[in-house]
Amino acid sequence: MSEAIIGVDTGGTFTDVTLYDPASGRLIVGKTPSTPHDPSEGFGNGLGTLLTQAGLKGDAVGRVLHGTTVATNLILERKGPKAALLVSSGFRYVLEIGRHDIPRRANLFTWQKPPRPVPPEHVWEVTGRVAPDGSEVEPIDEAAIRRTAREIAAEGILTVGIVMLHSYANAAHEKRVAEILREEHPAVLLSLSSEVLPVLREYERSVVTLLNAYVMPTVSTYVEKLEQRAGQQGISAPLLLMKSSGGVASTRAIRRTPVETALSGPAAGIVGAAFVAEAAGFGDLITIDIGGTSADIALIRAGQPGITTNGRIADWRVTLPMVDLTTIGAGGGSLARISETGGLVVGPQSAGAVPGPVCYGRGGTQPTVTDAHLVLGHLPFGLLDGSFTLDIAAARRAIDDKIARPLGLSVDEAARGILEIVDNTMLGAIRVVSVERGHDPRDFVLVPFGGAGPLHGGALSRLIGCPVQLVPPAPGVLSALGLLASSLRAEFSRSCVQRKGRFDLDQIDAAFADLERDARAWLAAEGVADTARRISRHASLRYEDQGSELTLRWADTLDATLAAFHAEHERLYSFRLEDVPVEMVTLRVDAVGLLPALSLREIPKMGPADTAIVARQMISLAGGIIEAPVYDRTRLGAGATIKGPAIVKQLDATTLLLPDQTAEMHPSGSLIVREE
Amino acid sequence: MAQQRSASLMTGPGVDPVTLEIIRGGLRAVQSEMEVLIERTAMSPFIREKKDYASGLYAADGRMIAGKALPFASDLVTPIFEEYPPRSMKRGDIYWYNDCYLSKGGVTHTPDQVLIQPVFADDGLIGFSQTWAHFADIGGMRPGSLSADCTEIFQEGTMVPPVRLARDGVVNEDLLKIFVRNCRFPALVRGDFRAMLAAVALGEKRLEELANRFGGATLRAAFDELLGRTEAAVRSRLQALVPPGTYTFAESVDTDGQGSGPVTIRYKLEATEDGRFLLDQTASDDQTRGPINLVLNPKAPGVLVGVYLLGGSTEVSLNAGAESLFDEVKLREGSVLSPRFPAALGHRGVTMLRNLSGYLGLINTASGGKAAASHSPYVIWLIRGTSTSGERFLMSDGVACGYGARPFADGHDAVYLVAQENYPAEFVDISYPMRVRTYAINPDTGGPGRWRGGCGVIRELEVLAREALLSVRLDAIDHPPWGTAGGQAARAGRCIVNPGTPDERVLKPLSDGNVLKRGDIIRLETGGGGGWGHPFDREAERVLADVRGGFVSRESAERDYGVILSAEGRSIDQAATDKRRADRPAAKLFHRHGYVESLA
Repeated sequence: MSEAIIGVDTGGTFTDVTLYDPASGRLIVGKTPSTPHDPSEGFGNGLGTLLTQAGLKGDAVGRVLHGTTVATNLILERKGPKAALLVSSGFRYVLEIGRHDIPRRANLFTWQKPPRPVPPEHVWEVTGRVAPDGSEVEPIDEAAIRRTAREIAAEGILTVGIVMLHSYANAAHEKRVAEILREEHPAVLLSLSSEVLPVLREYERSVVTLLNAYVMPTVSTYVEKLEQRAGQQGISAPLLLMKSSGGVASTRAIRRTPVETALSGPAAGIVGAAFVAEAAGFGDLITIDIGGTSADIALIRAGQPGITTNGRIADWRVTLPMVDLTTIGAGGGSLARISETGGLVVGPQSAGAVPGPVCYGRGGTQPTVTDAHLVLGHLPFGLLDGSFTLDIAAARRAIDDKIARPLGLSVDEAARGILEIVDNTMLGAIRVVSVERGHDPRDFVLVPFGGAGPLHGGALSRLIGCPVQLVPPAPGVLSALGLLASSLRAEFSRSCVQRKGRFDLDQIDAAFADLERDARAWLAAEGVADTARRISRHASLRYEDQGSELTLRWADTLDATLAAFHAEHERLYSFRLEDVPVEMVTLRVDAVGLLPALSLREIPKMGPADTAIVARQMISLAGGIIEAPVYDRTRLGAGATIKGPAIVKQLDATTLLLPDQTAEMHPSGSLIVREE
Repeated sequence: MAQQRSASLMTGPGVDPVTLEIIRGGLRAVQSEMEVLIERTAMSPFIREKKDYASGLYAADGRMIAGKALPFASDLVTPIFEEYPPRSMKRGDIYWYNDCYLSKGGVTHTPDQVLIQPVFADDGLIGFSQTWAHFADIGGMRPGSLSADCTEIFQEGTMVPPVRLARDGVVNEDLLKIFVRNCRFPALVRGDFRAMLAAVALGEKRLEELANRFGGATLRAAFDELLGRTEAAVRSRLQALVPPGTYTFAESVDTDGQGSGPVTIRYKLEATEDGRFLLDQTASDDQTRGPINLVLNPKAPGVLVGVYLLGGSTEVSLNAGAESLFDEVKLREGSVLSPRFPAALGHRGVTMLRNLSGYLGLINTASGGKAAASHSPYVIWLIRGTSTSGERFLMSDGVACGYGARPFADGHDAVYLVAQENYPAEFVDISYPMRVRTYAINPDTGGPGRWRGGCGVIRELEVLAREALLSVRLDAIDHPPWGTAGGQAARAGRCIVNPGTPDERVLKPLSDGNVLKRGDIIRLETGGGGGWGHPFDREAERVLADVRGGFVSRESAERDYGVILSAEGRSIDQAATDKRRADRPAAKLFHRHGYVESLA
């Protein structure tokens, strides 16, 4: 395989691009401004810039991989088109009622129910009912469905989700409803719950199916534009999009289940972290991606990110398999302020890109985490290679006025307090993915990335006791690198309820066989050769009468799977119940299509580390103010070792090395930081 | 490792603002982690699907430092001190109770089991890890242990006074055996105990880690500081809302299920010139024969009003600091809020929710309508019986209501309570010999107002079991949730068997022993919340959206909101609406069966 591959990750401000040329082993990394009015424009610009820089023509490209926020933004900003939902009769209000709760942390008197993506007048009821065992209780009323289809057409609604009760057990009604809709309203796009997520619990299934319908028209159009943009660059290679589960899929597959791209960007970052860490010989990782407004934390075991079906997008439970990440409102733009009771609080409110931190000089007046770093000397005095300078005096003034004086602290103490609080917020989220999942964080390597990640990595690794920290080669564009390293991936799930410790092995085998048939068909449609296919079976199990399941790899035999379940339950929850029957709820088959591996060129050895020192500046730490060298990361060769305190600057991020921390440049390009 | 920090950073008694905020975040995280563990591992549908459980962290003197967002009581730990003084406690102890009377309202009905584990720092007791959960059945007169037929607490399941369940980390299995033997669904109870024991131990471990990280002295100082801050915050907020004076209010429970009612709770609040608040509820009616009595802990009113006052603040944590919001709380022994042993308590939920409504009424009375309108008390129905294959089942289904409108927003439609979830229809169908036929919004139940009260729901089931016995608890029918500031009252609910057929029968709202047979249709219609502000002030567009969404009928839009829609019902007839709205009915502070200046 000698064709180049390209990764394009669209973010809020920048579109990050990477190109890998296997012929030369060369990796090109770049950034181009994002174009929110039409993200495909930034995508096209990125492709053009890369090809020019690489001196390649479009036909030299073997595949293009893309991480997108189009679906996420539609959901977050509620900017989708008019959509409709068809449900079983009696359940028109399935979305409005939801689980009839107020979130556990919310206040009864101030909480407000988030508006649903479609109002009740766009939910239509359809006669027809099946029982949980799949038998028909009441047939569907075809004439009524035809009338409904015409009403939907008359409303000008072009995308519809169909959710009928117990369709995970028998999808015949949903399929017939879909046929009739297509006959009566040929322009309609359909999402069937039995295809999007055929598992028990009608509200959760309805939400996922509806969100799929909600994003489908826009994502379809977007994907078409991407193909045109690639064509304009002379690229005819396949375009693959990153899904929330950390694998890519063809545009054909994405058009059918576009909601699977909801965590596209963060998933790519996690894949990127796994890739760079593997190149340095590490497989057990805690990753933290710190941006301007939020931080995403995930745990990776033996190179594999965890997959959850308890995820959320905005206010919605999205029970599709997705990378298990915890998102918190803590980032460089998080605002610090004094609470009404005189406490110091940081975030979750953020200054965002506009006005941004005080030091950006764009009108921000409330100090942020970035301002605290700047005041303490953690940042080189200018970002993006000095393209704009930071107003340290304004940052200092803001911290003094708004935090330090009201609390009776010095400016440095206040700034350190801001960082300490935000670091502890992140620590809490790191504990959620590690300690709370039965993992000891000290057994993991911390991988901080994102623009602000490596500024916090040193303090975080100390707080959680990670002995090793790995700062990726280009921490600010790791998602784009992750795209290059990704595989094709799809998950196929189905409810297959086995109760009271009685397992019908024939039924289980038949269900797995069905799912595997779907998986093979998918791999074939994606053009994956037999030798590159990886198919694995998973089952979700629980003790009888429990309400949530643990998903485990199916271990060939039932007994081995059950043994693994008892062990996992004990590891997670501190006890096992061997005398209680085990039940099975959902079966899942994962299909992976391996893409040609990426092998990055090692970085060369260079002169002594000292020659990479480009400046010295005073930094303020808990122990006092000390002078620290500023290194240019591009001038650090393989094996170069530097001691903290130090600052390592590069185009897309800044690494802060604390006293008693030592960093060594690994030949794969990552900085490996250890405590002395 | 204790944190080192320069002396200049210290403010207050030994804990600086940065450490304080870190500890506050840490406590919240521990409490959440305990709850996740219970939810993932418990076995009663009541706990795992409905999520009727909570966890808390307490200081060494038994004051709650971190708990759930809406605790109906906060004083759960001190009840064990009488029998087991803190100095007698050791690492590895676990205490257990469900006794409502001996805990003085720490718990308020017996199905709620409380576990408490002391936590020790290097220098002694630092606090407690606590959890409670509502068990599906703990014996008693009827499956589910709650029944309108109960007239004394002995019929409501096994009572457990504060006992030491574990010493040196070893659980006294004999105690559990006796308890479990008296439960109708022993496997669920054993499973729920395992989940709770694991959660309380987790809390102990995590709180100990916090103590090791910050040092016992710092942690204790932080507890004091957090309590003090909350106390100050709720008091100043109440002072801003309630000018000096004396205010009265009355709220009623319709029936005790045993032929008595209404049962009225009466409030008198005195706000003194020097900023003190004296609450007197002694004029409330006598305790009842039926099981609606509430053992109200005198510290609870401050916490409940505190939840209201703190609103959604992420900066001030709700904790026991709110307990002293009222400088004095007077209750009368023998009244419905302070019943004498052994009055039945099982369905105290209606009284609890009506009492909460009364506190809102009191604040509205004092502030001229600045608080939320009233809500319907959440509804519960229990269906027990035998499936066609001969298996015994118990389904305890909590059903949502509408909540009161606020000065800034509509009331919640279709909400049960904070952090409590419904049984999905597919879960009911697969788990019980029942089929959910309809689950919908109950239109026009929300009280009309500038902000509309929330609507209740309609839940209709078909009985597939050979036979079943239905217990239902509905209230606020004779005394619908009031509206305020010009907003109108909500519409009430009802429970019907075989609606629209010759054997249609409307059940008594608080009743048990209703016999059902295979093929019966049972329909529960729940009530809404009151409205806030004059309905003629509601934007016509919102009224139109409510009509189109099925929350408000066309007739109500016209009659109550003065909004006339076009013939096809998809737009507003502006001229007709203007004309109708020109003739604006006069409003008063409260509305229940018509506008009134006061409800007292």
